[in-house]
Amino acid sequence: MSDGQWSPSTGQIVVSGLTKEYKNVRAVDNLSFTVEPGRVTGFLGPNGAGKTTTLRMLLNLVTPTSGTATIGGRRYADLTDPLRHVGAVLEASSAHKGRTGINHLRVICAAAGLPKQRADEALALVGLTPAAKRKFKGYSLGMKQRLGIAAAMLGDPRVLILDEPANGLDPEGIRWMRGFLKGLAHEGRTILVSSHLLSEMQLLADDVVIIAAGQLVRQGPVEQVIGSMAQGQRVRVRTPNAEELTTALKAQSATVAVDEHGVLQVDGVDAPTVGRTALAAGVELHELTTERPDLERVFLELTAGKAGIR
Amino acid sequence: MKLVRSELLKIRTTNTWWIFALIMLPLWALTLGINWLQTDALAAGNTEGVPPEQIDQVRALMDQDALAANLYTNGQLFGLLIVMLLGVVVVTSEFFHQTVTTTFLTAPHRTAVMAAKLVAAAALGLVFWLLFTLLNIPAGAAILGSVDVGPQLGSGAVWRAIALNGLAYLLWAILGVGLGVLIRSQIGATVTGILLYLGGTIGAITVLSLLANRFGEWINKLQLLVPSLASSLMVSGVEIPGNPPRWAGAAVLIGYAAVAGAIGVLTIRRRDIS
Repeated sequence: MSDGQWSPSTGQIVVSGLTKEYKNVRAVDNLSFTVEPGRVTGFLGPNGAGKTTTLRMLLNLVTPTSGTATIGGRRYADLTDPLRHVGAVLEASSAHKGRTGINHLRVICAAAGLPKQRADEALALVGLTPAAKRKFKGYSLGMKQRLGIAAAMLGDPRVLILDEPANGLDPEGIRWMRGFLKGLAHEGRTILVSSHLLSEMQLLADDVVIIAAGQLVRQGPVEQVIGSMAQGQRVRVRTPNAEELTTALKAQSATVAVDEHGVLQVDGVDAPTVGRTALAAGVELHELTTERPDLERVFLELTAGKAGIR
Repeated sequence: MKLVRSELLKIRTTNTWWIFALIMLPLWALTLGINWLQTDALAAGNTEGVPPEQIDQVRALMDQDALAANLYTNGQLFGLLIVMLLGVVVVTSEFFHQTVTTTFLTAPHRTAVMAAKLVAAAALGLVFWLLFTLLNIPAGAAILGSVDVGPQLGSGAVWRAIALNGLAYLLWAILGVGLGVLIRSQIGATVTGILLYLGGTIGAITVLSLLANRFGEWINKLQLLVPSLASSLMVSGVEIPGNPPRWAGAAVLIGYAAVAGAIGVLTIRRRDIS
């Protein structure tokens, strides 16, 4: 690395009081959060929540109305050789349609002062070598995403920022991306990924930052954010003796509801308690499952009523 | 310097420049034909039917240096238009293909990026000038030979005209970059550029000559302020009586290019890229 002061511990992203006002809207409203190195952080929010604007302010593409955003303690504009520190994938379609994939990367190498062979290496890294000399307009959406990632990896950065990278990827591509990003985080790099694919995020992210209407809603490790929901666990029970079991459970101060398939939804007690209660009452059980709230349910509850239309 | 190399690589790795050069070839041939006829007529030295108040101007154009300068700078009318459009594309294609994000991520110092674009566009303008000058010299010498005039390549005035023509190509490419920043839309900027160049020139001549009829001959000197007329004045090879001096044409054009470049840089520095 050309910059000696840079160490993995300073690959931290700090957003502090960040605000962006357009004519009538506050797209981002006094937003503060941190992103730690060595982890994949999911940046979540409904459409129009201000995710893209926040990332663009972090990268000096959009000027904040107030507040700061730093990477490793410095503003993006103040980094010398920024591509050696930070890689970013913002739009899938950001290459000249008439230029070949390899030339797209060489143009960036030339501007960043990186050796030309980095272009070949980065293409190989994302598995695009066979399409190196094909023009960008002939690329599939998945190939475009891979080329974007190759461009971000040219300078072997410690920090990687991706805006909706899973858009347009097929299941195989999504799996590849998940492994790729987790691998990079494992090497100690900082990975910040915005997305609205919540099931994918639950598999990929270690931490989440959830925003809505430009404001922070929740930040923390995925498990903790899910666990923080008041609802807690719910137990599904199928039994031929629903009435008997309901009476017995209510005696344990559980709340019991019956869904349209006759399955009991039990809140307030855990699965072992339900099992014991059933045994004591001599009730036959066909299914006993704990339903953990997933990221999607938590996200929808946290952001309810704060959709992007403002 | 890294940025200039990157900008030149951007130009070289797309088709635009040679497609524009190909479009330019038939236009060059067309203006060469017209200039051949004009040279033929002027070299005959016939001033019959020329109104007496224009006789000095026509005589100046009959000067052998003027004939040669005109031929060696042949194609300027369309050549300047083409390099201006190339300058436009250097900027607008970044917005059209959304590559501007990558460009500014790679180099957050936007002033340096714009300076590199201005240098690269100017270099491209000079390449076009060189290309057409290399075509013009043999073709022009042949036409001069056909009317019993020598190639005039020993004349300082002729070389000055050729060099000033190069300056015009360079400056028009810079004007194009400025226009491209102001009008980001590829089609919008291209159409505006063509309209301003061709329509604006004709419109300005018409308006100025109407005003001149009303307020007197001095108004015609304002032609100098129309960029394309200023550039054709630069390459006349000799001073033409009644026209402003050639250096004034160059000064006006440098002024326009500086303003366009400065506006381009200042605008892009403040703009949000989203």
